[in-house]
Amino acid sequence: MTTTQMTLKRTVVSTFNVWVGFLVIMILVGIGGMANVLINGLQVTGLSDRVPWGLWITHDLSSIGLGAGAFTFSAIVYLFRMKRFEPLARAAVFVGFLGYTSAMIALAMDIGRPDRFWHPLVYWNVHSVLWEITWCVILYSAVLILEILPIVFSHGYFQRWPWLAKFGHTLHKGAPVMAVIGMGLSLLHQSSLGATYGVLSGRAIWFKPSMPVMFIISAVAGGLSLTLLATMLTGKLTNRELIGTDLKREVARFAGYVLLGYLYLKIWDWAATSYYSHAPGTASALSRLQATTPYTQTFWWLEVFLGGVVPAMILLYPNWRRNDSALMVSLGLIVMAVVVNRWNVTLSGLVVPPDWSPGILGGVVAASYFPSWTEVAVSIGILGYGLLAFTLGVKYLPIYIKSDGK
Amino acid sequence: MKKKKSDRPAIIGRRDVLKIAGATGAAVVFTQMVTTGPLSTEAVEGIGRRTHSSESSGEHEWHMVIDLSKCIGCQYCIMACQATNDVPEDEMRWNVGFPETTENGVDFFMTRPCLHCQEAPCVKVCPVGATWVREDGIVAMDYTRCIGCRYCEVACPYDVRRFNWKVSNKANPYQPKWGTAEVPPRPRGVVEKCTFCVQRIDRGLEQNLMPGVDPQATPACVNICPVGARIFGDIFDDESPVSIYLAQNDTFRLREDFGTESKVHYVRPEKEA
Repeated sequence: MTTTQMTLKRTVVSTFNVWVGFLVIMILVGIGGMANVLINGLQVTGLSDRVPWGLWITHDLSSIGLGAGAFTFSAIVYLFRMKRFEPLARAAVFVGFLGYTSAMIALAMDIGRPDRFWHPLVYWNVHSVLWEITWCVILYSAVLILEILPIVFSHGYFQRWPWLAKFGHTLHKGAPVMAVIGMGLSLLHQSSLGATYGVLSGRAIWFKPSMPVMFIISAVAGGLSLTLLATMLTGKLTNRELIGTDLKREVARFAGYVLLGYLYLKIWDWAATSYYSHAPGTASALSRLQATTPYTQTFWWLEVFLGGVVPAMILLYPNWRRNDSALMVSLGLIVMAVVVNRWNVTLSGLVVPPDWSPGILGGVVAASYFPSWTEVAVSIGILGYGLLAFTLGVKYLPIYIKSDGK
Repeated sequence: MKKKKSDRPAIIGRRDVLKIAGATGAAVVFTQMVTTGPLSTEAVEGIGRRTHSSESSGEHEWHMVIDLSKCIGCQYCIMACQATNDVPEDEMRWNVGFPETTENGVDFFMTRPCLHCQEAPCVKVCPVGATWVREDGIVAMDYTRCIGCRYCEVACPYDVRRFNWKVSNKANPYQPKWGTAEVPPRPRGVVEKCTFCVQRIDRGLEQNLMPGVDPQATPACVNICPVGARIFGDIFDDESPVSIYLAQNDTFRLREDFGTESKVHYVRPEKEA
């Protein structure tokens, strides 16, 4: 008894424990919010029939998009056999797994009937992109679990059951197969998340074929960036060299090129739909958007300039790329821009709904949305879950291995 | 002779036989699953429901005309709808109405039920097939299947759909003055919308009544209108009130450019001189 107390007194509270404690508080806040949602229903949100999607959908889209590093690295390493990228593959898969599970928690809160979450599996509407997304996300999460299990089973704790380690080893041998399946599923649903908006012919601001393509390319850029950023941050905080400098800069350069491609598409998407043409529905929606919301500003400044042009320049200019601080800032900016983009896309189409009244007053009223405290609390909780799981995973699992095989 | 023969590689080896047998077996099982098994149209009701149809195949197709030049803005149609379909909360109105003005400054009252689009955007996007276009063109809802994802609300360009954000605990202020509830209340967490009073249409047809002609088989909003500004009926029947009205009046539909092929037609508030 006495000894325990003495050690407790003497122990200096480590930064790690403070960090974990902070994340646990975030999770507790989230659990409070979730309880409020489940008990009182979605009336506790800031959502309405005119703006039925908001913060949580942004959270879903962002965490799935930023989880795209998993399929990108799996494909690079196990499919295209570029083994030099292998040290990042496990981290990418782990980040992806956390992203997808985060999205599922947010979705479970967002749907009005969480008890019916299994309905899309039984009742099919093959004409719905959301049906396809549900299937892909569930199947891909299964792939991610299969890719993660070998890492978990290689932990010392599981050595008492040798068959588990063997099973994990067998699973790992199937990595190329899972990379193919994972890439197929990801290419489908990452794009379909954009198509969720892109196919809505009644919503002029969204209805364009570029949506799915822009979603997947931004997801690849964001996924690469988040994986590299998380790795660099972990390395700095634990004073370990997790990946080699060459690898780090090569991934950064790759992300830069993807970002450049995305910017090219984005500029043409804007030019073709808003500058060189005049589709009545789109034009009126965009002018109302500019008049009543900050989304035009956030599009140009946060998405295009701060989240696109600036990081692309840093990532592609070798002298700047060599500066770790600049590199990490630019990766953070890309992650930020993906989140802002998902918010902008979701909200811009909803707050300026199409004008269907034959009179002149019907279209004037713009809808509005601001997330409620409960929505924010739930999102904080989910974020806390992702960060805590990553922290513990990096500490206790062999997420980062030496580049020379074992 | 014998030796020579075995030297030559067999055209079809044992492995190939196994492969072919396996492939055939798999194909048979797959075909079975898709035609009569768990993946068949009958088994997977979501596919069976018409979530992607361009023309109606039924005996009837129900349409409505709203004559904005006749409407006096009394809002009886709104109140009768809320009483009949048991919608106690005003923000949940299936049938909305608001004062409007034309470009020429003529005031009128705009009302809008669900437009029952034949190419309904909401129907296409539902991930569980909880909403579908019936053979008679009505866009129906299955409250027991809806998961409350609200994608249909996002897809609908006409702001027709309503989500049950809460369980309403207030008494319906429109009952019994404007009608009595004919359908059970919907649970929290599902989407609902105007049904063209489908309960009246289905029961009426069973009793050999004609929707649009016999009041018991006609939507509540149409019956209650004191000036006959709402006309309902079967568009396949040339003698139905709605067919006659459409033939005699210039009508338009809301945002035809969306390609939704809606079944609610409007007469302009100001008649051309």
